[in-house]
Amino acid sequence: MLRSLLFAFVFAVAAATASAGEVPYLAKDVASGVLPPVTERLPQPPLTVDLAARGQTPGKYGGALRMLMARSKDTRQMTVYGYARLVSHQPGDFELFADILERFEVEEERVFTFTLRRNHRWSDGHPFTTEDFRYFWEDVANSPELSPAGPPNLMLVDGEAPLFQVLDERTVRYSWSKPNPDFLPSLAKASPLYLYRPAHYLKPFHAAYASEEELAKRVEDAHQRNWAALHNKMDNLYRMDNPDLPVLQPWKVTGSATSTRFRFERNPYFHRVDPEGRQLPYIDEVIFDVASPGLIPAKVGSGDADLQARYLSFDDYTFLKQAEDRFPFETRLWRTAKGSQVALFPNLNAADPVWRELFRDVRFRRALSMAINRHEINQVIYYGLAYEGNDTVLPASPLYEKDYQTRWAQFDLKQANRLLDEIGLPRDEDGIRHLPDGRPLELIVETAGESTKQTDILSLIHDSWLEAGIKLFTRPSQRNVFRNRVFAGETLVSVWSGVENGLATADTSPADFVPYSQQQLQWPKWGQYIETGEQSGEEIALEPARRLRALYYRWRDAGTRAAKRAAWKEILEINADQVFSIGLVSGVLQPVVVHSNLQNVPKEAIYNWDPGAHFGVYLPDTFWFGETPAKSAD
Amino acid sequence: MLTYLIRRILIMIPTLIAISIITFVIIQLPPGDYLTTMINEMQSQGENVDQSKIEALRAQYGLDRPMYEQYFLWATGLLRGDYGYSFEYQLPVADVVGDRVFLTFVLNFATILFIWAVAFPIGIYSACNQYSLTDYGLTFVGFIGLATPNFLLALILLYLANIWFGTSIGGLMDPQYLDQPWSTAKALSVLEHLWVPVVVIGTSGTAAMIRRLRANLLDELQKQYVVTARAKGLPPFRALMKYPLRMSLNPFIADIGNMLPQVISGSAVVSMVLSLPTTGPMLIGALQSQDMYLAGSFLMFLALLTVIGMFVSDLLLALLDPRIRLGGGANR
Repeated sequence: MLRSLLFAFVFAVAAATASAGEVPYLAKDVASGVLPPVTERLPQPPLTVDLAARGQTPGKYGGALRMLMARSKDTRQMTVYGYARLVSHQPGDFELFADILERFEVEEERVFTFTLRRNHRWSDGHPFTTEDFRYFWEDVANSPELSPAGPPNLMLVDGEAPLFQVLDERTVRYSWSKPNPDFLPSLAKASPLYLYRPAHYLKPFHAAYASEEELAKRVEDAHQRNWAALHNKMDNLYRMDNPDLPVLQPWKVTGSATSTRFRFERNPYFHRVDPEGRQLPYIDEVIFDVASPGLIPAKVGSGDADLQARYLSFDDYTFLKQAEDRFPFETRLWRTAKGSQVALFPNLNAADPVWRELFRDVRFRRALSMAINRHEINQVIYYGLAYEGNDTVLPASPLYEKDYQTRWAQFDLKQANRLLDEIGLPRDEDGIRHLPDGRPLELIVETAGESTKQTDILSLIHDSWLEAGIKLFTRPSQRNVFRNRVFAGETLVSVWSGVENGLATADTSPADFVPYSQQQLQWPKWGQYIETGEQSGEEIALEPARRLRALYYRWRDAGTRAAKRAAWKEILEINADQVFSIGLVSGVLQPVVVHSNLQNVPKEAIYNWDPGAHFGVYLPDTFWFGETPAKSAD
Repeated sequence: MLTYLIRRILIMIPTLIAISIITFVIIQLPPGDYLTTMINEMQSQGENVDQSKIEALRAQYGLDRPMYEQYFLWATGLLRGDYGYSFEYQLPVADVVGDRVFLTFVLNFATILFIWAVAFPIGIYSACNQYSLTDYGLTFVGFIGLATPNFLLALILLYLANIWFGTSIGGLMDPQYLDQPWSTAKALSVLEHLWVPVVVIGTSGTAAMIRRLRANLLDELQKQYVVTARAKGLPPFRALMKYPLRMSLNPFIADIGNMLPQVISGSAVVSMVLSLPTTGPMLIGALQSQDMYLAGSFLMFLALLTVIGMFVSDLLLALLDPRIRLGGGANR
């Protein structure tokens, strides 16, 4: 009797949880009362992912997704791929939608009001409220110990911090006196601006909340120098390396991490559901195995990853295709969206006065660009599959015009030579030109030494430049050294990838195309001048570059999309005409390896860091493992 | 003997101090420090880092202090068994290293055994059959091992192991055992993976060993006492094993001290290529990112191994060959 009652009870519980669409992985914890049932775990309303609109299908629960990473630091990729942001980009047009937020309102691009979902919870079950925003703004961003430099740069408009208001438990408002159009997109980045922190978890590490003795003990136990160091160590939502730190992502790192394998398990409080109301993610666990980057393509080719694009390059494509016969995976090709896969940057801030003068002469930059045979590079290195042209927006961008891509980018040695003659760079008997002060025109192009492809491309350029009387030398170094040399003006021409976002719209920031940061290899000192608020670096000393800067402000302060578009147009126009960076090829294909059973991974897509977060924008929490029998290895 | 031992141990102290200073200086030699690495990386990911934040971080990590002060902090810490703090992993060095040390020992011990197991028979055979076809053949094989780039051989063997035996590529065990406790299956998986790195690292060590044994043995084989033993009818095998081989063992023993660090540092590159969970890749990573305490502590560990290895080989030599005078080195 008792036994049958018990059986009936167990059956009833199982039926109840099943009917509520409980996640099987969590059913045991729900049954034993460790976790509340899914209806109580989900916020009201949850975010329903419209799978059909994304060309995806509803899936089933379970499975572990294996990926390969090169370093233990790559745990941060889980935050990138998880891609739960306050607001997120959607694939295709990259418009923003409220993701973690229930809704957002923007007035004149300067007043931002965010509303949270009711009953939204951190992965540890604690409510996620405006207190978490207040804690970040008042106790982290404006704490002299934790943020000695003050709030993040992205939150300052001409040095002005926003007015921050908590309107109620679910609503916060940030307002500036001038527009801040970069604000929302920066929340949706692969490495986003975090406006919130799990206050309940971090307060015990904060001097303003914890008792002095306890804090001192915690600092001591963690071998940290002071409480600020401890707080910073515990508080890194992006790095995802602290299993105790609550997150809002679909998966969170678990405690049993070794330095060669990281395990992430589903966040039981995740806020997205599928159209049938079932909580996402479908996949229970994600596993990162750490292997050396050189070995990753080989490992992928032996079936050691279920989804992989990082550390694979186009060169690996044939090998991976071949390995498909032996292992159950498919190799897809996604297009990258960088303005240019590889670009040359003449250093307009070169320390050598003669070279500097030459680089600032637009005729010289045009001649350099026209003396490059992009078609040959495309054929030899990329099998003719890439686009040839300048470092600018791609055809898929609404701002694209063919002229931006092709101006001064045609292989035309005759005209290049004519320009160089016009500048007054005479050739000697060997055919090498001379600088105005008599030195031979020997251009040293520096690379960070990370990719042999760059050196291959440079050796192709070497031959055509020689016909224009320019001798090219390649100097690979090491990333730190490389960057520091560029910043110091010791480098003449450097090689790096072009602008990150080739799919820009009128609303995206044109910052990559105008002087704004020391990181820009064509004008590091001008960028530094702006970045440091005119504290160091050099004032912009070239009219078109000054104009670009002014256009950036015009874009930022523009009230309408048409005005923004106009600013963008002129910015792109100037960049194409002035050839500040010499783009080579773009739209290079990225191999993406997908396990044959893994569903909902797009066949064709854009592989990009910002915006896009690589896989993030396709929401890996909607990927699922089907039951099609795996092709076995033997 | 006792005074010799004491003197020998006392000399180790200033040696280690000198090594620790040199190590520390060399790690600090490249421009920049860990922070520059970190900041470059953050910037390449599109994060903005401003100068005042950098200064604050520098103070937080203690990188703003003069180098000698940083050295003393680290060196005195070492004495107390505190290996410092790894910036990269944000953990004390001792926690970072974990069971990598154990796997490193397993790998290197297996490699040394492999070197001996291959070099001994080949060396003896080559010496006894000097200038024969087999002598040339085996020597040739040995030199190929020495001349082939380790990483290339490693990649080829990995590929073949995967195609033939289905061994997973890289690592020292199948991925599913990574976060499991030790079991028979796990140990077997380690054995399955171990042979590739052992062969790769070992082949480069065997050629030298073969040549040395061959040369020494050849010297001995010419000597009067061997001829006498042979003439008196001692079976050839015994006539070889009993005396000449023992006499030619000297370099093996004298090499122990060198061999340990050589194998460990030689295995670093291979471990990197094969992504083995040993200390090698971690050391290289630490050196690249200028994670100075982690790198420094590793190097000190290597130095300590060398010094102890030398000490052991000196002792063994003295036991093996009474002709070696204990006081000789110190009086010279």
